[in-house]
Amino acid sequence: MNLAIRDRWVSFGVFVAIVVIWQLLSIAFPAEAAPGEPMVAGWQVLFTRTFLTMADYWQGGFGVPSVAEGAERSYLAAGLSLLSHSAYTIVRLVCGLVAGGVLGLLLGLAVSWSRWTRRLVDLPVQFLRTLPLLAMVPLFQLWFGTDFIGEILFVAYGIGVIVFAGTVNAVRNVPQIYIDNARALGASRAALYRTVILPAILPEMRSSILLSLGTGWGAVLGAEYLGAQSGLGYIIVYAQQFAYLDRMFLIALLFILYTSVSYWGLSRLTARFLEWAPPSQRQ
Amino acid sequence: MTDTQPRMIELAHVSRRFRRADGQQVSAVNDVSFIIPEGEFVCLVGPSGCGKSTLLQMLAGLLEPSDGDIAVGGRQISGPGPDRGMVFQKDSVFPWMRVIDNVEYGLKCRGIAPAERREIARTYLRHVGLSHVERAWPRELSGGMLKRVAIATVFANGGRVLMLDEPFGALDYVTRHQLHDVLLNLWNADGEGRRRTVLFVTHDVDEALALADRITVFRAGDQVDDIPVTAARPRTTDSLLLPDMVAIKHKLLRHLGLDHAAPGGEAAA
Repeated sequence: MNLAIRDRWVSFGVFVAIVVIWQLLSIAFPAEAAPGEPMVAGWQVLFTRTFLTMADYWQGGFGVPSVAEGAERSYLAAGLSLLSHSAYTIVRLVCGLVAGGVLGLLLGLAVSWSRWTRRLVDLPVQFLRTLPLLAMVPLFQLWFGTDFIGEILFVAYGIGVIVFAGTVNAVRNVPQIYIDNARALGASRAALYRTVILPAILPEMRSSILLSLGTGWGAVLGAEYLGAQSGLGYIIVYAQQFAYLDRMFLIALLFILYTSVSYWGLSRLTARFLEWAPPSQRQ
Repeated sequence: MTDTQPRMIELAHVSRRFRRADGQQVSAVNDVSFIIPEGEFVCLVGPSGCGKSTLLQMLAGLLEPSDGDIAVGGRQISGPGPDRGMVFQKDSVFPWMRVIDNVEYGLKCRGIAPAERREIARTYLRHVGLSHVERAWPRELSGGMLKRVAIATVFANGGRVLMLDEPFGALDYVTRHQLHDVLLNLWNADGEGRRRTVLFVTHDVDEALALADRITVFRAGDQVDDIPVTAARPRTTDSLLLPDMVAIKHKLLRHLGLDHAAPGGEAAA
């Protein structure tokens, strides 16, 4: 059996072990936060009763009535509820990721573009970088509101500063020989950035982008904790008020799933642009 | 070379000073003047740190001289230009472009149409013997093949002046000699009257003797000698054994401080 296959089996084994240990813990600690609300919910509870309670957050539509309209909890409403709230969160994340990524990249490139752009950009952004992200949540809420724009700005800010720092660093690491060669062959500054700097920083930017994705998921949750009326963060806050630990745990599981899928997807996507790089830079 | 040929490169009192990290001024190139006629193959020889690479960088337009004027083709240079091409010591081939795209790069920067630049690139890839790997990624090539790509790239770009900065220094003996042939064949490809002007920096005396029409010697930022190499082309291993060539070799070795093992070296000079 080759090593890659063995690694996969070991990972699978670890995964199964975690699932089993969780189940054992739920049996060993049957304490309840409130009657019918186990502190450690076993899988049989999570995927039945807990999942069903998600119907509470269904806002109606598609001919499936909401609990607020007097309907019974149904698996269909629960599923739709999770889907719609996930969609809200993911749209916020993607918009913030794109806005923050593009802005961070452009500002990062501006630092090396010319002496003047460096003077303009470097100090203010370095200052922004040092502000702790979570401490900024209430500020953003008050400045920009709790609507879509405020949330996206917050996510974009969290991601932007990481991408900015990554870009500045990656540009600094581009070997001078490629820049000299491009200039000697007649590249203008714009062509130099498009054909040399951008591709040369890509392997390094890839890790910055993956890093910022983790922060992005955190930031979008942070934005939703405060005042949002939708999204997975909203469900967690709502569940917390009633000490529904099992619901919070279910959402956390969903988060693990989404984070893994987004990492995998982004890393697949960027790998396509790194066909030229040695395999060690593509993993 | 005769005086009838137009001046291609003119350096007048060119100096370049650097400030070292400890604050001291270092003079890398010191009041250098020379003229190179069109079509001449000149080797710049000298010990490392003698300023020959700095001189080339200034000619390429990647460095500004502290003093003096540099003209190429009768025009004062400012910055890099398509009239000059440079092959570097380190690998300069862009790893994110396929071989053919690398060769086309300069032409693309100058806005040559895709079909035309592809044809030019293919021609030069054939000249350097790399037609079979035009779609390969640079990481798949050996060091010698990467040098061939770099040479094809500057020739394809069409500059009338080519500068090579110790291009084969990191290659093995066999590969180095194969590349000498590749370079000379390309230099001769358009006929004797259409040769490009070449400035070739090396610290390898035999390399200079095999390639150059003229060898210019640098030491500590100063030009200390300028020796015509008269042996006929194409040169063979035996050409290097001609009395004239042996005398030049001794002279060069003495400039490099290496002529201990040559009896009668003084006489030969």
